[in-house]
Amino acid sequence: MGLLERSDAYWKFTGQCTQCGHCTQACSSLTAADMTLGDIAQALLEAERNSASSDELAANIAQNGQLVQAVRGCFFCTSCKNTCFAHNDVCDLIYNARVDFRKLGLIPRETYTSVLVDEQWDIFTAYRAIHGIGYADLTRHVDTDVAPADTDFDVAFFPGCSLAAYGPELTREIFAAVEELGGKTTMLDSCCGSSLRSAGFFDRAEALCDKNSRELADSKAKQLVCVCPGCANDMKRALARTGVDVEVVSLAAFLNAHGFKPKKPLPETPLCISKSCQDRDGTYLEDTCEALGIDAEVPTIFHGCCGAGGAVSAFDPDRQAQQADEKLSFAPDGSTVVTMCPTCTYTYAYRMMSNPRNIVNKHYAELLFESQFDWNLVFYQLNSMWYGEYGAWLAQVFA
Amino acid sequence: MSENAAKAANPVVAIIGFGTAGVNAAIALRRAGFAGVVRVFSDIDTLPYSPILTSYYAGGEKTLEECFPWSAEQLAELDLDFVQEGPVERLDVEGHKVYTREGGYPYDKCVIATGATPMCYGFPQVEGDGGYEPLVMRTLENAERLKSVLEDESCERVLVSGASMVALKTLEACLNRGKRVTLVGMNPHVLDFNAVPQAAERFERGLEGYGVELRLGMTVKAVKRIPREGGLRDWQLEVTFSNGDVDCFDEISVSHGMKSNLDFIEADTLEIDRALVVDDYMRTSNPDVYAAGDVAQGLELISGQKRIVGIWKNAAVQGAVAGTAIAAELAGGEPSPDQAHPGAFGMNTIAVKDMLFISAGTMEVTPERTMEVRENDEMLVIYIFEGDAYSEGTGGSKRRLVGFNLVSEHDEAGSRAYDTGAMLTLRIEAGCK
Repeated sequence: MGLLERSDAYWKFTGQCTQCGHCTQACSSLTAADMTLGDIAQALLEAERNSASSDELAANIAQNGQLVQAVRGCFFCTSCKNTCFAHNDVCDLIYNARVDFRKLGLIPRETYTSVLVDEQWDIFTAYRAIHGIGYADLTRHVDTDVAPADTDFDVAFFPGCSLAAYGPELTREIFAAVEELGGKTTMLDSCCGSSLRSAGFFDRAEALCDKNSRELADSKAKQLVCVCPGCANDMKRALARTGVDVEVVSLAAFLNAHGFKPKKPLPETPLCISKSCQDRDGTYLEDTCEALGIDAEVPTIFHGCCGAGGAVSAFDPDRQAQQADEKLSFAPDGSTVVTMCPTCTYTYAYRMMSNPRNIVNKHYAELLFESQFDWNLVFYQLNSMWYGEYGAWLAQVFA
Repeated sequence: MSENAAKAANPVVAIIGFGTAGVNAAIALRRAGFAGVVRVFSDIDTLPYSPILTSYYAGGEKTLEECFPWSAEQLAELDLDFVQEGPVERLDVEGHKVYTREGGYPYDKCVIATGATPMCYGFPQVEGDGGYEPLVMRTLENAERLKSVLEDESCERVLVSGASMVALKTLEACLNRGKRVTLVGMNPHVLDFNAVPQAAERFERGLEGYGVELRLGMTVKAVKRIPREGGLRDWQLEVTFSNGDVDCFDEISVSHGMKSNLDFIEADTLEIDRALVVDDYMRTSNPDVYAAGDVAQGLELISGQKRIVGIWKNAAVQGAVAGTAIAAELAGGEPSPDQAHPGAFGMNTIAVKDMLFISAGTMEVTPERTMEVRENDEMLVIYIFEGDAYSEGTGGSKRRLVGFNLVSEHDEAGSRAYDTGAMLTLRIEAGCK
C-alpha cells in the first residue's frame, strides 16, 4: 500500500473521468476550487507521487488549497454526478478522500468529536440526555429497564437523529401511526452514520449500519420505515451487505400504502417542496407529494443540498449558509417550504434565525401530523446546554 | 528454465489500443497487483485522449491540453511497455502473438480495445477537380482538421450529414465558430435511435432557433467541387440532395455511424457478431483474448442481449473488468463474481448551445411497452415503461422504466433537468436489477 490508503478509488475515478468539466459548473465548491472531479483524483495521486512520507503528503495536500476546498467543501449532494455525462460516482471518490484526509490529520479532530455517532455521546444523545428525551418504551426489541427485549415485529421505525432529538412529540405521534397501520412496531433509536462518513470514518459508519441491520434481523421486523431518504439509502446498502431481508420504505410510502389520512388540512399558503438531495432517484419526492395529496408538478426546489451535508459547516460555515440561502431563494414569497429530511428542516430553521424570510419551513410530517418542531425551543436548548450545569461535561466529552 | 516456467514468471499482457478501455485495463492490471509486462500497442503518438472532448476542442471550448484525461506522470507510474509500430496488422490467436509491421510479439493474455472508426456509409464520392475528403469526427487528428477549417474565415457554410450525437456535437462546434450550418439526415428526425419523434421535434425547434437549417428525411445524392466566384475561397461544394434540391457549402462533415476496428482479426478465430462477443469478464470466445469498449458486445441490461453499448463509461468499466480478470487468472485464480461486468445500457447527454437532450435506456416502443409524456415550458420528459401499470408510491411497482428522453431549452448545470435525468437513469438501473 502506498501513502494514500484509498488510492484504488482515485485510480478508478481517473480512469472514468473524461475531464469534460461539466461537474465544475454544477457545484459551488468545485467552481470555487476550479477543479473537476477527475482533477481531485489526479491531484491526490500526484501529491502521493511527490511525497516520501505521510507527513510530507499531508503537507503537500494542505498546501493545495483548491484540493482541500474540493474535498472538504463537498455536500455529497451529487449535483456534479447528475450533470456528469458518465454519471461517475462522486460519493465514492470524496468519501475515500475524506478517509485519507482524516488519517493524514487534514480534518481537525475538534470538527467531528460531537458527531461520532457510534460512541456513547454525540450531540444528539447528549441533547436528549440533558433534556430528558428518551424512547426506552418504544425500542421494544432492546432489553431496557422498562421491559425485556421483544421480537417478531412487523415494522421497525427509524426516525433518524434529528427527528428523534428535536421532535420527540412528533416522533411518538408518527410511531403510534406506524403501529396502528402496520402492526407490531419497534423503534430503531440509532443513526445511519452519515456524520461519520463525512468526517472520514467510512468503516465505522458501515459498522454502525451493519449493527443496525443485525438489530433489525433480531427484531424479525419485515419493514423498516425511514423518515430521511439518506438514512434509508444507508440502511438499504447495509441490509444488502449483511444479507438481512428487510424492506426499506420511506415514511411517506408507508403511509400511502396504508391509506393514511392526514390529521389536519394542508396550510392555505402555496407549498414548495424542497427535494432532498439524498433522494437520488426522486421516488421519495413522489411519495411525499402523494402523501400530501398534491401534484408531483408542484413547485419543487432541486439544486443540491440544503447546506447540512458533508459536514461542510465545520469547514466553511459561510458556504453552508450560502447554500441554504440559495435553496430557499427558489421558494416563492409567502409559501410553505416542505422538506423531506428533518435535517433539512433543521438547517433551514437555523438559517432563517439569522436571515429571516417570508416563508414557513415545515417537514412534511408536520403537515400530516398534529405535533410540530419548536425550533425556537430547540435552538435555545442546544445553545444553553453548553453554558448550564452540563457545560463542563460537554466540553470534556467532546474535547 | 522451461518456456512455460519463464512465461509464468514474467507473463505478458498485450493491450491493443490505448483509449479509455485500454487505459482502464492497464490501470486495473496494476492496481490488482499484476507485476508482469503490460505491452500496449498504440498507433497514436500522443497521450491517450478523450474523444468526447475532441469536438469541444474543434469548437474552441477546450484547449488541446485539456483533451488528455491522463497525465504522462500518471501513465508512467503504470510501467507500460509501448509498441508504436503503426496499427496492429494481425492477431494470431492460436500462436498467442500480436503482429505489427515489424514482427510478432508474444502474449499470455490480450485485451482488444481498438475502438471504432466513423463511417461515411452512403455518402457519395466527391466529384470535380481537386477532390475533397469530407470531415469526420472521432480522433484528435479529425478534430485538428475540423478546428482548422472552422478557424478559416473562408469557411462560411458547413453541411453536417447525419443526425447522431456525433453529428450534433460537430454541429455545435460549427455554431460556436459562427458558421452557418445545415444538417441533413435520412431519418425524419434528429438524434436517430436515441429519441422518440416528439422529443426530437422539440430539440429540432431549438436547433432552428439557433439558425440551423434542417433537411430531414433526405440524403446527399451527389457532391461536386466547383469553382467559386467571389468569397474568400475559390472553390465550393455543390450538393445535390435526394429531393433534387441543390445548394453550395464550404465544408461537409459526415457522421454516418461507427464501425468497430477489428480488421486485424482473422476470420473464424474469434466469435464476432457486430463486434467481439464477450462474457461477463470481457473474455471473447478465446479464453486468453479479452475485448472492451466499442469492439465488445457485452450484456445490455434492458434487452438482456449482448450488444455494443458505445459510451465512454462503459468502455472504462469494461476495460477495468478485463484488467482485473486477467490479473486474477494470471495469479492462478479466477475473478470473483463481484468483479464481473454488471452490464450496461445506453445513456447520452448532449447540449447544443442551450438545447439540452438527455436519454437513457431504450426508445423502442414495443407492444409490451407504453409511452408517457410530461411537457411544460421547462422541459419535455418522455418515459418508456415496460410491464403492467402500477400504483403510484406504494413501492410495489409492477412496471419498470426502461427508457426516457428529456429535452430542455436551458442547459444549466445543477438544474432540475439534470437532476431529473439522473433520477430517471437511476430508476432504469434499479429496474434492471
